[in-house]
Amino acid sequence: MADGVQILRRNRPGFKAKDFCRWPDEPFEEMDSTLAVQQFIQQTIRRDPANLEAILKMPEAQDEGVWKYEHLRQFCMELNGLAVRLQSECKPETCTQMTATDQWIFLCAAHKTPKECPAIDYTRHTLDGAACLLNSNKYFPSRVSIKESSVAKLGSVCRRVYRIFSHAYFHHRSIFDAFEKETHLCKRFTYFVTKYSIIAKEILILPKLDDETPITPPVGESEA
Amino acid sequence: MKIPTAMDDSSVSHHNGGQVGSQIGVNVNNKQNDEPSQSVQYSIPGILHFIQHEWARFELERSQWEVDRAEFEARIAFLQGERKGQENLKNDLVRRIKMLEYALKQERAKLHKLKYGVELQQGDMRPPPEELPPEPEPAERAQWKQGQQLIKQYLQEIGYTDTILDVRSNRVRTLLGLNNEEQGEDPNYRNYDKQQRDRYEICSSHAMNSMGRKYDYGGKEPRKSGVSTGGGYNEEGLSVQETAAVFANFEFLANQEMDMDEIDDLDAKQPHHAASKQGEEVDHEAEEVLNELNSLTESEADGGGQGDEYPVGKFAGGPGVAAAGAGVVGAGVVGAGGAGGAGGEADEEPLALGELAQLTVSNEPEAYDVASANKESFRKTWNSKYTLRSHFDGVRAIAFHPTEAALVTASEDHTLKLWNLQRTVPAKKSAGLDVEPLYTFRAHTAPVLCLAMGAPRSEECFSGGLDGTIRVWNLPPPTADPYDPYDPAVQGPVLREHTDAVWSLSAAHGRLLSSSADGTARLWAPRAARPLLATLRDDAPAHAAHAAHAAHAAPAAADFADAGARAAVVYRDGTLLLYDLETTQVVMRVSCDSPMTRVRSHPTLPLLVTAHEDRHIRFWDGVSGRCAHAMVAHLDAVTGLALDPNGLFLLSGSHDCSVRLWNLDTKTCVQEITAHRKKFDESILDVAFHPLRPYIASAGADGLAKVFV
Repeated sequence: MADGVQILRRNRPGFKAKDFCRWPDEPFEEMDSTLAVQQFIQQTIRRDPANLEAILKMPEAQDEGVWKYEHLRQFCMELNGLAVRLQSECKPETCTQMTATDQWIFLCAAHKTPKECPAIDYTRHTLDGAACLLNSNKYFPSRVSIKESSVAKLGSVCRRVYRIFSHAYFHHRSIFDAFEKETHLCKRFTYFVTKYSIIAKEILILPKLDDETPITPPVGESEA
Repeated sequence: MKIPTAMDDSSVSHHNGGQVGSQIGVNVNNKQNDEPSQSVQYSIPGILHFIQHEWARFELERSQWEVDRAEFEARIAFLQGERKGQENLKNDLVRRIKMLEYALKQERAKLHKLKYGVELQQGDMRPPPEELPPEPEPAERAQWKQGQQLIKQYLQEIGYTDTILDVRSNRVRTLLGLNNEEQGEDPNYRNYDKQQRDRYEICSSHAMNSMGRKYDYGGKEPRKSGVSTGGGYNEEGLSVQETAAVFANFEFLANQEMDMDEIDDLDAKQPHHAASKQGEEVDHEAEEVLNELNSLTESEADGGGQGDEYPVGKFAGGPGVAAAGAGVVGAGVVGAGGAGGAGGEADEEPLALGELAQLTVSNEPEAYDVASANKESFRKTWNSKYTLRSHFDGVRAIAFHPTEAALVTASEDHTLKLWNLQRTVPAKKSAGLDVEPLYTFRAHTAPVLCLAMGAPRSEECFSGGLDGTIRVWNLPPPTADPYDPYDPAVQGPVLREHTDAVWSLSAAHGRLLSSSADGTARLWAPRAARPLLATLRDDAPAHAAHAAHAAHAAPAAADFADAGARAAVVYRDGTLLLYDLETTQVVMRVSCDSPMTRVRSHPTLPLLVTAHEDRHIRFWDGVSGRCAHAMVAHLDAVTGLALDPNGLFLLSGSHDCSVRLWNLDTKTCVQEITAHRKKFDESILDVAFHPLRPYIASAGADGLAKVFV
């Protein structure tokens, strides 16, 4: 195979888990695929999931709509991980409603008429609904350019997705902490929605998550 | 492809083509030949009446009275009933034929008008198919000639004739290159054929009962078209005889003769070959009719399946029948009419390799080619129909439900999704249909890499992930709503013995075979109390000899072979090992230079197919270990392999973004589809065949899965 001369960024059948996606970074300018933004975001996250600024630093001349859209895709995707953990603990019997603080009960918007779903269903439905919306051929037919009207749709997805974080935080704190420690997802999400003013500040009900990430040198596996 | 005939090498001297009835005893094999004779007494009406008869006799025996009289009565009833049944069927057939003919005429007229702006004067020149077509009236002929002159002029004005020449010479060239193959080829080419063959082989004896009679009826049909086209052929396709006459009248095609001569030369060595082909094509048509008749009269499932599988538009009349019927009746008819448009049509046809290849050699009615080409393209071209978007990241694996029009995809976004192709969302643009997932399976904590579907009716599937787990899932019913409450029962047992990424899964006979980057392949009984049945690890000294390899000999993929008695495991170092599952010992070892990515074992033959990173697909004899064939299949690493359930076609996917369909007999590419975009340097990650229905699917790194019909 043509390896050696040219770097082929591939996961080949039989690769060990630690080698998965472990290839040299590709500069954004050289990515010529239609999925360049996703590639770039995933690559930066892989380098150091804690380095929020690097992850959310938009390359120059990048369409902001697409940038936000791809980030939201990434959030929803990684939230699957939180949902998996919640599935084991968040039961319909115990968390009968989607709540965070006692102030609000969130209704599940996935149904024809919004419904009081148990928290776990709310979580799953919200993620499934987000997956459908973000992959909808109608609103997001392209991953290179996005209509202004479609960008507006991102806000409501963000709001609902944030409730998953808040429910986990207030009701399943240990899961939340373990997950956050691994992925820094909530911090990244908060940073993201604040930076691009997608969600109003007062809706962000989670207390500021401890260390507001000083830019640390990359810890994880750095690429060869 | 090449030679669309089903009986290629067998019936060498059937110049009179599809006369199923008259074929008897002409030649070697031909199951066909035997069938009509043995089957007459076993048709459905036959059985029914036989039962009646038996019942009558039983009555007789019991009562012991009026033995003779009752017997005669029964006999009379039997015969009369049979006659009536025959008559009904005949009428039905005739009606259909007329309908088809009419539709065809209309279609031709329309085509003609559209193409040349001239009203096609076909009048009643097409004789009713029940009788041998008489010679065209001189007056009509004159009319025709006029019309043809006109067409010819038009064509010449727009330079069509040149194009025709080009196309023809192209064909000749292709044929030159392909002649050899054609001879050696196994007859079963078309999608359609495989069913056909299946039917023949599987049901050869008992199920014949129902078919036999059909066969008879069918026989009448082809006979006519057979005579006409066959006769036409005998006289170099230009004779004035029956329908072929029409074709002959297209004098403007005379310049074909040049080509014909060419072909004749090329073909001189194998005149029989060409001749037999002609015969067989018509045979083939006969079969088609049979088949369709079968599907009509036999169980719905059959009929439905076929109807589904070969949706042939155009003919206004009955959908499924129209296709085949038209094939038969139209062999001559379309032949003639098609000739008019032949040049044009041939031009428009995407003359892809496959299509070119199947054009027949002879200079017999060219329209014949076109006719079959048309059928071919109806049958064989897979078109993208459904796009499955909902995954956030690359789709690593795809597997169809064993029976339903449903499938499961597994993605790097850590989820699996279940899709029901019968619940679609109309897409914005006409092109295809979007499907929304029915259910999202969440439990893996890392990308899901592989997938296997359980046996029919078990409603389960298995997935393996980068997290090293294999999970068993109970599939929700295809009617589930994606926003139903969460049901933890969907999650079945989890198999955790693998210590590294699980890259391939294969399920058969209630067992599961996995291969993992931890260096082992394992055999499971997924729902047993102690699921792990065996661990296949290559610790043979021979392998250790390649010390460098042994160190990181990670299995890339595994599949059951020999009806589940063995396991074929391919390794990243290019080794293919066959394990005996009883003893867990290696029974065969072959290797090549290039890392292997996939392995599939042939459903019926002792043949293993492997996909390689050096763009090759290799075929291995599962007994001797000999490399039976190797071919460069793609422009980049081959990543996906799938064999159709009958083992006639092979589907491959590659990082070159294309999916290719291969004819396993000839090892030629039948179709190429560009399906997915690249993410980093990955593109297509998996391909699949539906075990029963006419679906194929591809999964890509772009997060999409596509289904083709």
